[in-house]
Amino acid sequence: MQHKVVITGMGMVTCLATGVAANWEAVTAGRSGIGPITLFDASRFATRIAGEVKADFDPVGHVSQKELRRMDRFQQFALVAAGEAMQESGLTWPPEHPYRWGVVLGSGMGGLETIENAVASCISKGPRSIHPLVIPKAVINLGAAMLSIKYGFKGPNMGIVNACTSGTSAIGEAFRFVREGRADVVLTGGSEAVVTKLSVSAFNALRALSTRNDEPEKASRPFDRDRDGFVISEGAGILVLESEEHAIQRGAEIHGVIAGYGATDDAYHFVMPDPDGEGAYWAMRYALEDAAVDPSLIEYINAHGTSTDLNDKMETLAIKKLFNRAAQKVSISSTKSMTGHMIGAAGAVEAIFSVMALKTGVIPPTINLDNPDPECDLDYTPNKAASREVRWALSNSFAFGGQNASLVLQRHG
Amino acid sequence: MDDLEKRVVDLVAEVLVDVKKENIQLNSKIMEDLGAESLDIYDMIALLEDEFSLEITDEQVEKIQTVQDVADFIREHRKAS
Repeated sequence: MQHKVVITGMGMVTCLATGVAANWEAVTAGRSGIGPITLFDASRFATRIAGEVKADFDPVGHVSQKELRRMDRFQQFALVAAGEAMQESGLTWPPEHPYRWGVVLGSGMGGLETIENAVASCISKGPRSIHPLVIPKAVINLGAAMLSIKYGFKGPNMGIVNACTSGTSAIGEAFRFVREGRADVVLTGGSEAVVTKLSVSAFNALRALSTRNDEPEKASRPFDRDRDGFVISEGAGILVLESEEHAIQRGAEIHGVIAGYGATDDAYHFVMPDPDGEGAYWAMRYALEDAAVDPSLIEYINAHGTSTDLNDKMETLAIKKLFNRAAQKVSISSTKSMTGHMIGAAGAVEAIFSVMALKTGVIPPTINLDNPDPECDLDYTPNKAASREVRWALSNSFAFGGQNASLVLQRHG
Repeated sequence: MDDLEKRVVDLVAEVLVDVKKENIQLNSKIMEDLGAESLDIYDMIALLEDEFSLEITDEQVEKIQTVQDVADFIREHRKAS
């Protein structure tokens, strides 16, 4: 028997704000969260801007200072976002049937800052200087494990590592656990903390990042002809997925439905997407088939929209191929124009924004879309939010490595 | 408590997530009374080594039981250096 999968809790931490409500207010107002890098001295870097999470990202005190000290930043973000999602879900913990509750958490690079600092210390001060918590802070699966320890979830538990697609892949796999009846509740999403020296310099070496250092708020400009790369940022998005009968039984508020998931790989190149968008097309198509919904019913696409030359053209092409004439009628936006690119957290935060579009009938804009690229000729909701009733939405993520994932989200009721 | 002992109590409190500072006495046994596990001890040792610029071997760690032992060890070791 297949179960209908609903969303009963959502939480997020981004460079715009902590909390879903504050983030939604910011993105529908078209505010950018991008600014100069302060987490390290970036003066010698080609890119000196990013979307940094502000210091007070745990205003409600979900996590004690002592707990935070023992975690890498990516784990801290996950815990704070999970705190919001769990509180909002109304679930109480530890669960009555702990082996029926799972965690699937995506992250592209995990505790990168911990690794960077440990390597520097190992070289300058020697191996004895390495702190005993380096391994638990560094490894990616510990994000998922920290959540299970905090809430007592003893069911299926895994970390998903799929670069920029990690968050979407995690939600998709969690969705399958619940749909197939292998879990009643799964805490899922993505978390990333990669505004670090190594990550910024390495993405610079790939020429992937915007260097519009003098105008940080204008640097992320998906689908605009003057875009010059993505803007790296950090944060987390966490959702509580639950079988509909479990949610109804306990009288939970349902925010939306996960109706379908598609996943493919380009098998093309280690960092460039297939310029024909074949893999992206099939990910979206499989997601729609999985949900048994016709493309013409999709009203909103939260695009991957990274603000790189290649992605934005390829994604446009893939959407046109799948939607044909209906492509012009879909409202599309890239919220990365405001949040920057949170790598493994991006897909999770964007799935939540898609749910908010379903709930509120507001389409967040793509900001900085002043002069559309002639090859990007769809309705990307330029610069101002739009009002539109949305029953079906699609959320896309495409990764370095060619991993593509797409989720179909449906309005509840 | 002198300044060093107070500082040691602070560090022990920093490491042990579930223990309140006011419950930490000089004669508290770090593992038995305060519930530290071995990883907590190594965490604490790393902090002590960093703060007081000393090296504590695993053999020396085994002899340390109470908060007072920690403070005494640091005092002794600092004198020697």
